[in-house]
Amino acid sequence: MIKKRCISIAMVIMMTLPLFSGCSRSMEENGKNPENGWQQEGSMELKYAENFNVDYYKGGYSLISISDGSRYLIVPEDQDIPTNPGEDITILKQPISNIYLVATSAMCLFDALNSLDSISLSGTKAKDWYIENARAAMEAGDITYAGKYNIPDYELIMSSNCGLAIESTMINHTPEVKEKLKELGIPVLTDQSSYESHPLGRTEWIKLYGLLTGKESEAKQLFDEQAEYIDKLADQEKTDKTVAFFYISSSGNAIARKSGDYVTRMIELAGGNYIFDHLGNPESATSTVTLEMEEFYATAKDADFIIYNSTIDGELSSVEELIGKNSLLKDFKAVKNNNVWCTSKNMFQETTQFGLMISDIHRVLTDDDKDLTELNFMYKLPAADGESNGKR
Amino acid sequence: MEKGKGTRYIRYITTLIVLIILFVVLILLNIKSGSVNVSIKDIINILFHGSVNETNYNIIWKVRLPRMTASIILGGALALSGFLLQTFFNNPIAGPYVLGISSGSKMMVAIVMITVLSRYHSVSSAVLIAAAFAGAMLSMGFVLIISRRVQSVSMLIVCGVMIGYICSAVTDIMITFADDANIVNLHNWSLGSFSGTSWKDVGVMASVVLPTSLIVFLMSKPIGAYQLGESYAKNMGVNIKLFRIMLVLLSSFLCACVTAFAGPISFVGIAVPHLVKSFLKTSKPLIVTPICFLGGSVFCLGCDLIARTLFAPVELSVSTVSSIFGVPIVIYIMLKKRVQ
Repeated sequence: MIKKRCISIAMVIMMTLPLFSGCSRSMEENGKNPENGWQQEGSMELKYAENFNVDYYKGGYSLISISDGSRYLIVPEDQDIPTNPGEDITILKQPISNIYLVATSAMCLFDALNSLDSISLSGTKAKDWYIENARAAMEAGDITYAGKYNIPDYELIMSSNCGLAIESTMINHTPEVKEKLKELGIPVLTDQSSYESHPLGRTEWIKLYGLLTGKESEAKQLFDEQAEYIDKLADQEKTDKTVAFFYISSSGNAIARKSGDYVTRMIELAGGNYIFDHLGNPESATSTVTLEMEEFYATAKDADFIIYNSTIDGELSSVEELIGKNSLLKDFKAVKNNNVWCTSKNMFQETTQFGLMISDIHRVLTDDDKDLTELNFMYKLPAADGESNGKR
Repeated sequence: MEKGKGTRYIRYITTLIVLIILFVVLILLNIKSGSVNVSIKDIINILFHGSVNETNYNIIWKVRLPRMTASIILGGALALSGFLLQTFFNNPIAGPYVLGISSGSKMMVAIVMITVLSRYHSVSSAVLIAAAFAGAMLSMGFVLIISRRVQSVSMLIVCGVMIGYICSAVTDIMITFADDANIVNLHNWSLGSFSGTSWKDVGVMASVVLPTSLIVFLMSKPIGAYQLGESYAKNMGVNIKLFRIMLVLLSSFLCACVTAFAGPISFVGIAVPHLVKSFLKTSKPLIVTPICFLGGSVFCLGCDLIARTLFAPVELSVSTVSSIFGVPIVIYIMLKKRVQ
């Protein structure tokens, strides 16, 4: 952790140095420290996010540094673009418009900021959005589908005067697309929020998008609302309840989250314990672990609660359907005690609501009300014998 | 006799002219067609005067033209590679991927994606291209080692298929430990596409494919002798051992280049040489080699045009289009030939 911080501090210092020399003319015009060129006025206050930081400079300039090494200088609308900002710095002149948004997790952040109007292209089709406003904007033609992350429609993107492409980390698998977009003069920002280990770290990326869209104070307010849920739970005692969070793949394997992943952190923040202690390689960037059923059964059968991840496999309607995926599941303690929940499909598109999600999980673990079957982001599966009052 | 010779030449010239016309028409269509409508007047200005709207200029010069050039070069390479292997194995269904080349490439890409990307967050496209090329050459290396011990060509095909299975098995092992993102991306890679090609890529592929194709053309005489039988070629002074190695090496080199830049593109390597030989009614390498290259280019130009425009902005894979449109044509020609 300390090592990581030292590296990021060193990175920020190294990144800032060329800026000092490159932007001197512009800064002189804006009135600042002629010796150093740039005059830093402060940094963005970040509580959980570790994969980006923002430094503010006199004249309203902001320098975003992202953990993948990329840097972006946000130039206010009324300011000049620095003449020599440094080769590795991408200039983003406000207002940033006609964004090609590929990172699905970022859409809800733009939506929460009421900034959908700055997006004109999407890497996801209308039918695949669970965010109502995004879907409506696409259906109304305000946002156009411009192809998937791996085969974008370059012509459409160029003809739309795209000001910025916001990609997910999936782009790292197809580096040629990122290189091509840059070649075409389209700045690319890769949303690294999926690498945040703390769930609220993901939500905190709203501050970065708030900066891009000129709505920083709104972003801070929205983030603080979610952080409040965590603060409230921090005072409560941890339960001894264990939770298995997984889905069964089409090949019959159980796909569980790696220990320490943000979903497992959500369970812990909600007062529970993720059933797997040391699952997956902590060094690995991957978030899921494929488990052979026998291995999965040996550990997860004693979990007090099952939360079935419907994102890939689709939502379940009953415990019977779950057992249909593998009959071993009927021996699970959670199935026997009718403690099986399923996430709604929109869960992973609702980055702004992670605080609320954690409070949902907390209720699952602590609320003894048998009539509790529907929460904000999950619902209880009706038992095999029909005991549960599940609404679905 | 003279009349027969004349008819043959007319057939060759007719085929060549038809292909050239198709080539030109498809080039024009590829330049004209796309998600953005650029007028013919603008295209002419962009191509010959370099002026007008900057966006349209970039669309033509940085998106459409490099992609089109890639499909010309790689399509030709695939067809030529297929012709060489069909000659070598004396088998009409032998294609560029029969020696496990695509499986080798996929295996290496899987290794890079799953091991490198799971530890480091990013990798450059050059690394993936190099991995795919290395995988292809690795499979081919095994085939070459085996070819020194195995005399029978059919046994060599079996060995190539077996190597393909081993590579696929290694890939499957990697996939077992991979996360969803890697699995999805590996699947996407294996679909094959010319999308996102840059002039830099075109430069590299041209520097591999064009000299290799020239060597193939210069080898027309020994290839022709080999077509008449190994013993005949031997009597003509062809060093069979070296010749076989050269044939496998050249075809693999061409195919590896295609796979590295565009992923595995099926069917073109099998269909085009077959179609070209059917039209020309000859297998003479001196005639077939250049026309095969041209035919492959035309075929890929057409398939890529359909792939990127049919459901734009969604793109189909080139393999999907080449199979859907190519298979009925080949079957029709085969049946027609049989009836005749």
